[in-house]
Amino acid sequence: MVNKTLPLEGVRVADFSWVWAGPYCTMLLATLGAEVIKVEGHRRTDLVRHGVVWPLQDAAPQETPTNQGMSLNSVNMSKKSVTLDLSRPEGVQLAKQLVAISDVVVDNMRAGAMVRLGLGYKELRQVRPDIIVVSSSSRGQEGPEKDYGGYATIHHAIGGGAYITGYADDAPCTSGGDSDIMNATATTYAILAALFHKVQTGEGQFIDFSQCEGVSCLIGELLLGYEMNSQIPERMGNAHPEYAPHNVYQCWGVDRWLALEVHSDSEFATLAYVIGKPDLAEDPRFAKMASRKANEVELDRIIEDWTRQRDRDWMVNEFSQAGLMAAPSRDWKDLYADPHLKARQAFVTVEHPEIGELELVGVPWKMGDAEADIRYAPLLGEHNDYVLHGLLGLSTGEISDLRRNDIIM
Amino acid sequence: MVKSALNGIKVIELANMVSGPYCGKLLADMGAEVIKVEPPEGDPSRQSGPFPESGAHTERSALFLYNNTSKRGITLNLDKVEGVTAFRKLLKWGDVLIDNNPAQRLESLGLDWGTMRQLNPMLVYTSITPYGRTGPRASNKGDELTIIHAGGLGNLLPTRSLDIDRAPVKMGGYPVGYHAGLTAAVATLAALLGREKTSRGQIIDISLQEVILTLVRVNIASSRYHDTTWSRVPDRPPAMGRMKTSDGYIVVGAIEDHHFRAFTELMGNPEWAAAEEWGSMTYRRHHLMEIAPKMDEWMLTQRKDDIHHLGASKGIPMGPINTARDVMTSEQYAARGYFVTVDHPEAGSNRYAGWPYQMSATPPFVQRPAPLLGEHNQEIYCNEFGYSPQEFEQLQHDGVI
Repeated sequence: MVNKTLPLEGVRVADFSWVWAGPYCTMLLATLGAEVIKVEGHRRTDLVRHGVVWPLQDAAPQETPTNQGMSLNSVNMSKKSVTLDLSRPEGVQLAKQLVAISDVVVDNMRAGAMVRLGLGYKELRQVRPDIIVVSSSSRGQEGPEKDYGGYATIHHAIGGGAYITGYADDAPCTSGGDSDIMNATATTYAILAALFHKVQTGEGQFIDFSQCEGVSCLIGELLLGYEMNSQIPERMGNAHPEYAPHNVYQCWGVDRWLALEVHSDSEFATLAYVIGKPDLAEDPRFAKMASRKANEVELDRIIEDWTRQRDRDWMVNEFSQAGLMAAPSRDWKDLYADPHLKARQAFVTVEHPEIGELELVGVPWKMGDAEADIRYAPLLGEHNDYVLHGLLGLSTGEISDLRRNDIIM
Repeated sequence: MVKSALNGIKVIELANMVSGPYCGKLLADMGAEVIKVEPPEGDPSRQSGPFPESGAHTERSALFLYNNTSKRGITLNLDKVEGVTAFRKLLKWGDVLIDNNPAQRLESLGLDWGTMRQLNPMLVYTSITPYGRTGPRASNKGDELTIIHAGGLGNLLPTRSLDIDRAPVKMGGYPVGYHAGLTAAVATLAALLGREKTSRGQIIDISLQEVILTLVRVNIASSRYHDTTWSRVPDRPPAMGRMKTSDGYIVVGAIEDHHFRAFTELMGNPEWAAAEEWGSMTYRRHHLMEIAPKMDEWMLTQRKDDIHHLGASKGIPMGPINTARDVMTSEQYAARGYFVTVDHPEAGSNRYAGWPYQMSATPPFVQRPAPLLGEHNQEIYCNEFGYSPQEFEQLQHDGVI
């Protein structure tokens, strides 16, 4: 372990979140030095402990063992795990005791779920007056749709992201779980701001986060544009309103593609040279940005005739060497094999006690003073003794009683 | 006075388009004092739309107006020696520098990180570049289209594509820039909190490629360790998801058994979905496509908003695929007070997207509309950095500002 002070050292987080939108947020807090204690019922664990991310090649097995799913392991690193049955008063009581020695509480259950458990902000503030409580829900804690549930794809749809994504001549498309990860990042931002305020003033607060609104914030210019001109923005595939070429081109092989975007006329002249057709830069159909855009279909055909016969990575290298913007459309194998990502240590390797070595995506920043040692996602209940005995001061006998009464695992 | 979380934090923003400016906006709307530094011709986002019906105008770009709320703005030509001198003064003043130019830009002006931290040891330098500041691709260029593919998200879109010979697509808008702005804001606040402990600033190196990579973290680990086959082209028929309605599209996530039961009821308990085995998630996973055409046929008779409220109030996770107009007229958003009205001298009074977080003690707020080009030159150079009227005029005359 490195001998340095991480930004959130000394901050404790009681984490009641599950799936991705909460857990990735608390994982970021953990990698920044916070002690994050993931609370699950052993009979009602984080949903993702029991499912492999679809789609599986084989029909079976449909479920991974409790601690071994990548959905769990990718977004819960560096945390501690305690099991508490929150449907029982003893479980809720212990959760409150944990909150009493914590700084931040995070959940992403349905709106009002924590209140119904007796763990709402009002109750928690009584046991810890300066607590920061964050409830991240589908539509938010108030309003006519507060009781509606949703997943990342649904939030992407409601927030306005899906409608503008897809081919111009085909249906809109929701992306996958990335809206959850994005919303988790935005939640982390609000928590850090609240922590900053708490450091300055000692005051805690309640944060009500809407995951649909989180998506809308990232298309703010389109919403404001509609407000100003009443035009509904439509999806347009890979195209750009002004730039051409601006597309993804088929390369030699099966399902191999490269993305290429040319902004200026001089970049286009470079492209024309690299693909061995320098005349294109003088061609009145393509010489200027506006004419290229007007003749985009023809231009794309010329470029793809060239790319289709060539190796993707060779072409990307040629383009990049010439100073153009080009990238392979990377799949998972390309990402894990990328020497650049390796050199930057974008992946971390953790030693999982049940699986062995796992190479997973680390955190999306490099900060010399805040690089933590990242640990594997905790096994279910791995830190029961540490939390119940070490932090809450329960005796061995009391812990055995809890186990016998099925409050903990 | 409104209490704000980042009261007293001083930020210099040397950034254009989306990533850096959105980071600056997040900090500014949380109460930080942000000075946006633009070249004399302005942030290029001023030239990008969308624009009002009256047409393109440097002070009326929605992209610029949205991403630059709450900031003050100055112009500064860093290609002039006096411009660099002025910028060094700013560096001494600030707690944070947000920069989304290539790393070589400031270095070529004699402002490498070592020099900057000598000028101001407490400075947090947030650098956003396409591939990060280190590694073999450090100097490569990239923007929205190339980066979303470089980072692995583009390859998964459009989801449920039925044609492997059709190109993958990017997400609409500026997802790379916005997500990078969010990530940079998180890292910046973390560094500011860390500074309270270490009493020194630091450099933050954000790679746009890694910002996208983090979004597909579960997919790629799952493909590697569970042999799942994440691709935009499904290797088997999709179970649920986007469905067409009479007036648009809706996304349905009736995944769990009780969801699907409720969905069957919503459809009026049709005979073709009555058999007991449809109550099992495992069975549905393998057989749903047998009845999918009938489900689709039924959904085509429904209106997206009506069926959304009916279904969601019965506990089925679902939601309409909303256009910008749908979002702007959402009753739920209105009830939460999501939109904020901002009055801008050139663009007028408009409703802007607000924030997804409502904070009880330190609510975010718009301090002021996005700055006009050079709006705060006099105020900042003369009143705050001590340039005399003569010096100020000279800067103007020399094309520095």
